[in-house]
Amino acid sequence: MWRYLGGRLIQVPVVLLVVSLMTFVITRATPGDPIQIMLGMQTSPEAAAAMRAEFNLDRPLAVQYGLWVGKVVTGDLGRSMRLNDPVTALLAERLPVSLQLALAAMLLALLVSIPLGIAAALWRNTWIDYLCTGYTVMGFAVPNFGLALILIYVFSIKLDWLPITGIGSSEAAAGGWWTYIRPFIVPAIALGTLQTAILTRLLRSSMIEVLSQDYMRTARAKGLLPGTIVFLHALKNAMIPFVTMVAVQFGYMIGVQVTIEYIFAVPGMGSAVLNAVVNRDFPVIQGFTLVIAAFFLFANIVADMLYALLDPRIRY
Amino acid sequence: MASVAPSPRFAGSLVLAARQFPRHRAATIGLVCLLLIVLATLLAPLIAPYDPIQIKLSMKLKPPSLEHFLGTDHFGRDVFSRLLYGGRTSLTVGLLVVAFAFLFGVPLGLASGYFGGRIDNVMMRLVDAFLTFPPLLLAVAVVGLLGPELQYVTLALGIVQAPVLARMVRGSTLAVREDVYVTAARALGAGPLRIVLSHLLRNVMSPIVVQLTIVFSAAVIAEASLSFLGFGTQPPEPSWGRDMSEARRFLNDAPWMFLAPTVTIMLCVLSINFLGDGLRDAMDPRAWRTRGTIDPEEA
Repeated sequence: MWRYLGGRLIQVPVVLLVVSLMTFVITRATPGDPIQIMLGMQTSPEAAAAMRAEFNLDRPLAVQYGLWVGKVVTGDLGRSMRLNDPVTALLAERLPVSLQLALAAMLLALLVSIPLGIAAALWRNTWIDYLCTGYTVMGFAVPNFGLALILIYVFSIKLDWLPITGIGSSEAAAGGWWTYIRPFIVPAIALGTLQTAILTRLLRSSMIEVLSQDYMRTARAKGLLPGTIVFLHALKNAMIPFVTMVAVQFGYMIGVQVTIEYIFAVPGMGSAVLNAVVNRDFPVIQGFTLVIAAFFLFANIVADMLYALLDPRIRY
Repeated sequence: MASVAPSPRFAGSLVLAARQFPRHRAATIGLVCLLLIVLATLLAPLIAPYDPIQIKLSMKLKPPSLEHFLGTDHFGRDVFSRLLYGGRTSLTVGLLVVAFAFLFGVPLGLASGYFGGRIDNVMMRLVDAFLTFPPLLLAVAVVGLLGPELQYVTLALGIVQAPVLARMVRGSTLAVREDVYVTAARALGAGPLRIVLSHLLRNVMSPIVVQLTIVFSAAVIAEASLSFLGFGTQPPEPSWGRDMSEARRFLNDAPWMFLAPTVTIMLCVLSINFLGDGLRDAMDPRAWRTRGTIDPEEA
């Protein structure tokens, strides 16, 4: 297994190199001069040229890419053209916010999907199973920003229970834990509903499969308590694909938050990339996509490792 | 791919699948619903009661009524008429992305699966790289940098979907590559092109069709997301996603403005998903409820 892990880890830089090359090509092959956008039309050609030289934009493309990769290897992602801050500093500001939102969404997804998935598998073809199916079908069909608007309308406007904005604000940080958590609730539900649907469906079907195995009958025949059978024998085995899927989906979440961040004014990774695209802030686009891609890759490797750790039959 | 479609045997399997399909009730409803949506958007100029773009401020933010049965927006434009016209972009993009994914994903997947070895390795690493990209951010980058035109939106959404399809086709190809009939065809002297086109492709066609329904619904949602973020369709052109974004400012005064496109997108995606489920069952002989369905006399 360690050899397998090593093999996977060796592939990471290769994939990241391809990813960064693609981002680089996309940013450079497209119209729109970042310097022009930033300095406006009335700048002197000298100032523009100086700035171009500062960000190496006057060098040949291959050299630009080489210089960038050379710095990335040392942990330097360059400086934002617009904000003039190091990209790593920007990242340190934005990544925790995105991680917290993803974590909140995943927590909600787990809180709903585990009981719902188990209940639907235990009481198949009853109202609870139909509720579960209806919920997952809807969860797959609703766009998260549409759901966000519905939730805002119901919980923030009509009922006035929960705030719309406030993630990462100074007031939220100054207050107690509840003031800190409150603004996360609505965005987390909107973000996590798709994952809830995916996880619920998965747990339901893997529970059903496990429950139909011979050793379940044996457990019942031995006279074990139903609770012991369900939670100790069935759930333990049904959880294996579930846990892996949680890791995979968590890796996804950072990248799919954009619309949610946009609606709830969350200062996260997605909105940073959005602004960077509008402003043609190349270093930010390159640095952030690289980090998001790396995060996703590692989440997948963790998922594979978990699979091997939890299921002794799987050996890499 | 010409060698695939007109063969009588393939047509026969299509007929069997078509006969099987109506047994899936949800899928039938999905198909009908989707056809209605497509028809409504195609016939928008005939059906739409009002001009979707013309501003009429005296009528702004009117709730649903007999004249405007889904209400009006902040410019007094009829929400229903905008829905009809907005659907044209969404569905066109969906269709174009499906075509893009098919044209690039299927040949790549077939080649990767059939030839294996180094070709496979290189292609799958590329696919890995594409799949590592957060899809929506990639689309935002492509459209944001190139422009909101239809071809760029299609490209932006297609380059994320094609690799998914390629990987799936590769997997299915690997599974059927070793089947006896392929060996038989090879023994009879069939070249790689013939084997891939007339033996492999036909046998991986059903998972492809099912995956394409998923691509379609993903593209519809992604196009709406792009427009929602301001990167797709530009105002005043009607668009489901863009109109929802506009509606954010009037959540309290005019909830119909965001509800109408949200529900429409959901209906659309639900219909496609159900259709996909039905197709999967109809095209997989193992999932057929055999009693009375494929009587030897009937077939």
